[in-house]
Amino acid sequence: MRKNNCELIRRELDELMLGEAHSSAATHHLRECASCREFHEQTTKLRHIVGSLGTVEAPADFDFRLRARLASQASSSVSSIYWPFARRGLALAAMVLLFATGAVVLRNILDKPASVNEVAQQPKVEQPPQKQVEELPVAKENGARTAVIANAGENDTQSIRKLSRPRPDYKKRSVAAMDFSSERANVIGEAGPVGVPAAFPIDASLQSFKVSLNDERGNEKTISVPTISFGSQRIVQGGNQFAPKRDW
Amino acid sequence: MNTLTTIDELGFAPALEQDVLEDTTSDHALLEATRSGDQDAFAELVSRYRNQITSYIYRMTNDYDGAVDLAQETFVRVYRAADRYQRTYAFSTYIYRIATNLAISELRKRKRRKLVSLTGFFQQTDGGEAQELNPPDGRPLQDLELVDTERRNAVQRAIGTLPEKYRAPLILRDVDGRSYDEIAKILETSEGTVKSRISRARGFLREKMRAYL
Repeated sequence: MRKNNCELIRRELDELMLGEAHSSAATHHLRECASCREFHEQTTKLRHIVGSLGTVEAPADFDFRLRARLASQASSSVSSIYWPFARRGLALAAMVLLFATGAVVLRNILDKPASVNEVAQQPKVEQPPQKQVEELPVAKENGARTAVIANAGENDTQSIRKLSRPRPDYKKRSVAAMDFSSERANVIGEAGPVGVPAAFPIDASLQSFKVSLNDERGNEKTISVPTISFGSQRIVQGGNQFAPKRDW
Repeated sequence: MNTLTTIDELGFAPALEQDVLEDTTSDHALLEATRSGDQDAFAELVSRYRNQITSYIYRMTNDYDGAVDLAQETFVRVYRAADRYQRTYAFSTYIYRIATNLAISELRKRKRRKLVSLTGFFQQTDGGEAQELNPPDGRPLQDLELVDTERRNAVQRAIGTLPEKYRAPLILRDVDGRSYDEIAKILETSEGTVKSRISRARGFLREKMRAYL
């Protein structure tokens, strides 16, 4: 009973404001109960200490910082209004860019030439039978593959050119060089009538040009002109453009 | 925890003193003026409550810079929610409730961060809350002011170790001197719960401050 009474009195004292008068029952109880009296004294002292903490003042620039904060939030709210529109625009631009990139990539893929494997897998196209080319006479004296062109006519020259072509659809022209400088020149004009100028074909592009003259008095003279080649390049040694020309 | 932004969420009982509402310099009138764009009225409101709110949050968080920041955030929310404010409720209760929610949110953030205190070796746990051991200095103090300062520091640290549900009602009651009814409205609980929590809080403090009592 006494314990319950102490609890009730302590609760009453606890709920009172500092300095507020308590009931007569509480006053009477505090006179008799040392424990509750000590509790009341400690609680009152504690509440005085806590109440003495007082108010902490805000800094002097509190208002200024608050205004700045409100202003910054207002500007951010304005930007947040326009953000959905900007976001839509950015999304649209990204889509257009993606579409354009895809179109370019697709175009490149379609224009790409077929690879070797793809060509190999393609069905063969029936080629028309090629015309047989007559075998050219080959000089067996040297044992080489050098063709004898001196007696060959114009048709034979064209045949040689045809043979040099690897494929009809191959665009790059093959470059071939033949050396006929060691071949012996033909002798012309021995059986012709006197006083009639001799006419003989000259194929300067195939061999060196040699002419033998006989005045029927025992004087014989030979004129030799070396092979003339056109289109060849010669590297100038030492970069001297005025170097003396060599024999050609 | 959701922080309070509108008066609609409060659910307060209408204020009894209607004559206060008629005063043109009352908090309600100033907020009405703020709603209509009067910046000076809002400045007056800020000047009335800035120290109280800053002090209250400082007692709750024991961090002055953080308290100033949270006090400013409190006023920002009041300003932004001025259009939705209903003058049938007490403004002081409204703004204290916002401040309480912000302070409790900050305390919970700190708890999640699990900051390691340099005095962690001297801490013990009590009811899930860390309590800092603060033995009183046994040497004789030469000045009564120093004694008071030391005592206030000790009680401030002791309050900082209280659980948040005990801390807020104790500060509102014993530091700010608010009534149980107002505290109950601020904390959204009943008066009986407020009284019980305040009694428990004082019991904790008595144990911690025994050397000073």
